[in-house]
Amino acid sequence: MNLPLLELRRQPSRFIVATVVLSFLATLLMFLGGLLDGLYLGSTGAIRAQQADVIVYSESARDSFLRSRITSEQRAQVEAAEGVEEVGGIGFVLLGAQVPGETDIANVAVAGYETPPKGVPAPPPDGQGIADTRLEDAGASTGDVILVGPQQTPIEIIGFVDDTSYLQQSSVWVNLPTWRAVQNANRPDSTVSDDIVQALVVSGTGDLVTSIDTATAGATSTLTKDDAVLALPGVKQQGDTFNQIIYSTLVVVLAVVGLFFSLLTLERLGLYGVLKAIGASTRRLFAGVVLQAVIVAVVAFVIGSLLAIGAAAALPAAVPLQLTPARFLSTFIGLVVAAVLGSAVSLRKVTKVDPASAIGNAS
Amino acid sequence: MTVLDMRDIRKVYRSGDIDIVALDHATVQVDHGEIVALLGPSGSGKTTLLSIAGGLLTPTEGTVVVGGHDISEYNAKQLTEFRRENVGFVFQSVNLVPFLTAEENLLVVDELGGNKGGKAAKGRARSLLEELGLGHRVKNLPGQLSGGERQRVAIGRALFNNPKLVLFDEPTSALDTKIGEQVMELIRTEMKARDTAAIIVTHDTRMTHYADRTVHIVDGRLDAGTVTA
Amino acid sequence: MFLALKEMQRAKLRFGLLAGAVGLLVFLILFQQALLGGLINQFIGALKNQSADVLVYSDQARKNLEGSIIPPDQLAQVATVEGVADAAPLGESTFTVTAGGEERDAVVFGYELGRPGAPTTLIEGRLPEQGGEAVASEKDRADGFDIGDVVQVQPDGVEITVVGVARDINYSVSPVLFVDFATFEAAKRTRNPDATTILPSVVAVQVASGSSPESVATAINDQVDGVEALTRQQAVDGSPGVSSVRSSFAIILGLFYLVVPLVTGLFFLIVTFQKASALTLLRAIGASSRTLVTSLLIQVVVVMLTGSVIAFGLYAGALQGVKNLGVRVEVQPVVITSLVVLVLALVTSAIAVRRVLRLDPLSATTGGGVHV
Repeated sequence: MNLPLLELRRQPSRFIVATVVLSFLATLLMFLGGLLDGLYLGSTGAIRAQQADVIVYSESARDSFLRSRITSEQRAQVEAAEGVEEVGGIGFVLLGAQVPGETDIANVAVAGYETPPKGVPAPPPDGQGIADTRLEDAGASTGDVILVGPQQTPIEIIGFVDDTSYLQQSSVWVNLPTWRAVQNANRPDSTVSDDIVQALVVSGTGDLVTSIDTATAGATSTLTKDDAVLALPGVKQQGDTFNQIIYSTLVVVLAVVGLFFSLLTLERLGLYGVLKAIGASTRRLFAGVVLQAVIVAVVAFVIGSLLAIGAAAALPAAVPLQLTPARFLSTFIGLVVAAVLGSAVSLRKVTKVDPASAIGNAS
Repeated sequence: MTVLDMRDIRKVYRSGDIDIVALDHATVQVDHGEIVALLGPSGSGKTTLLSIAGGLLTPTEGTVVVGGHDISEYNAKQLTEFRRENVGFVFQSVNLVPFLTAEENLLVVDELGGNKGGKAAKGRARSLLEELGLGHRVKNLPGQLSGGERQRVAIGRALFNNPKLVLFDEPTSALDTKIGEQVMELIRTEMKARDTAAIIVTHDTRMTHYADRTVHIVDGRLDAGTVTA
Repeated sequence: MFLALKEMQRAKLRFGLLAGAVGLLVFLILFQQALLGGLINQFIGALKNQSADVLVYSDQARKNLEGSIIPPDQLAQVATVEGVADAAPLGESTFTVTAGGEERDAVVFGYELGRPGAPTTLIEGRLPEQGGEAVASEKDRADGFDIGDVVQVQPDGVEITVVGVARDINYSVSPVLFVDFATFEAAKRTRNPDATTILPSVVAVQVASGSSPESVATAINDQVDGVEALTRQQAVDGSPGVSSVRSSFAIILGLFYLVVPLVTGLFFLIVTFQKASALTLLRAIGASSRTLVTSLLIQVVVVMLTGSVIAFGLYAGALQGVKNLGVRVEVQPVVITSLVVLVLALVTSAIAVRRVLRLDPLSATTGGGVHV
């Protein structure tokens, strides 16, 4: 027999208010987290998929592919650097693409590569590409020829790969000559010659960041894969902004739990007096309040999850919402911690209940 | 043999700059199986006396010995444990846990002590309730019981741990006269059957004849007591 | 009044928690509205804050500026539609520019000086008066787009001097330069020297006084083949990215707006239930229902106002942290949001008010106070 659990079971109506409010807040937390994850995953897929240790940009590029240019001389220096084992050139160009049979323009990032990212085969022949599954969602299928950019450069889609998008655009993985052709035709203001790539993906051993930048005498800026992800435009700011909103929402959860459980405690002061008189300790009674708050938070988590999953299914595909298991877990932990802290508001009231108040008390 | 031995108890409350003497050199003894009625107007100190006897309050001066334990110097934690194991309480009206059945309201005493009770405790709760004429009510919630039935459940809870002393705070004040008398009769039977000592606080002189002795309290002072039964 | 405030004084923790929760929630609403506004302005500020009432796209473009080209005959046809006071070319293109010593992407809008398509939110300097002058987006001042700065358009280095800055005129999350159409043409030509003519992206239309942009847009769509005319607002709403940002935020904001009145309404309902016997007593000793209801509503208002003040403080502080999004502290959204949540809270408090009105002063005399 467990008093707090029995109360939850036999008088659930007392907890409905807190549960409803917390469920909405849980939905919000998951929704916000899901958007953050969606934005993060959608922006960074192309870099996370690289099977390399570091990414080498030109020094003036401020760690952006689009601004970076690596010459063949610099590449030779990088290849000769200490610890370097494998070097591949890479280049991106962001363009609109017409998918056959679709009215909307799809956003693509045509990506030229030598070293295949995770899940991508060796570079295909000229004019063919492996697209991110986002493009499949936008209506493309294997064998389609998409027309890229203002010049409508054709690329035939020969397969799809998961989670490789770049800055919310679907990557289309092509060989380096095809990338240069697309770039030069559609971006005449920033053409690249045949010996140029935007950046290098490098694997090897030891402190590659230092050894590469030393080998090129500072002409390159080398970043670990994780740093390169954070250096993508918007990734850090989005993370900071959304996390600020998520933490504030958790504080609201804390306040709401504190509020409604202090009201519940207020209703139970008489009962607590009797229970203390017949031998209940403050610790035991307070543990009951905490347990109830945690259970309400858990129930709210379940309802909130279902609402968030429902909302995610109902939203248009363009909304970059992704619900990940990690997000469910962190939301769960956040809710439970906020519930425990929120219920602490009632501690003083529970402590102050005088067992002697049970006597001479008519109502 | 004496179960409750209170000697020279003084209890002083401070209210602002004024000391209020609630009990003044009160001395009282209650023996095994003895039922004492404590009679007095409101504000006379009977609540304070009962609270000190039950370990809910500590006296300013004097000694309290219950069942061989001198509780005069106990701290709050020791008092909590003492009450759980040695004293039974029946209060005026807020008495039972509203979301627990009659049976569970008895078992709550075990639960608070951290005992898992189990089958044995359950059996004891049932037989106690049957003894109190509530055999058909074990699974009912307090809200489904009448006032008299609720007080009977409270008596069952007070007796559940086989305390040496049971304290009753106006147990019949929320009941009509007839039910009140039935409850008093039951209290007397149960106390006598178990040889348990009891103090019953009341302001209703019609109830005093169920006690062995009546002690009057006025302005914090006790009289010697009159034998009533 | 006396009763309402006395009670709140006695239960500081509870009312404080409520005001704190409301404050945080209102803050989150304000903050996210500002973020949404900031984001949308960064995507399509240039469209929103330019002077044309109607924008005419080629119908192939699907409301995307980048994909729209208007040949001269369509421009001429649009100009003849009734209700069109002026129809001017407006060009848009993304260039690599050198600004503040660094290469970066910038979006250049070319319009005919003195005609529709000019930026409307100039906050400093002046509009361009000749070729080679530009109004730049305010947000990018520090990055080499301030008044007096010279921006070079690559690859050939066409020079543009910033002579004014305007608020919220970014496009595609990039810096924006509004220049005269000839300068836009020159910049585009350096990129594509073989082009015979440089075509505008859209037609910027100013409607005649007395005509509504909606009716003029409809008339253009009816009378000119191969174009899609949109009012400024339709062009903004239809731009790529805007609707997905809006629908994400709509759900989040909707939920927040729901939680505020839910928390307040239910709080006051529970509190009213808890003190029902005290309220009954007050009725019995002669307090009118009106007094008690007023007292309840005063508490709602005090809590919501306190919450709004807390929210404003947090909001002003938080916006310092996201300055790069181009969001500003403004009083108007704070006032509007506070009023909206206040009204919502008052509406949900109606349940508590109903409970107060149902109190029967008679029951105070018949006991009824025994709770088990």
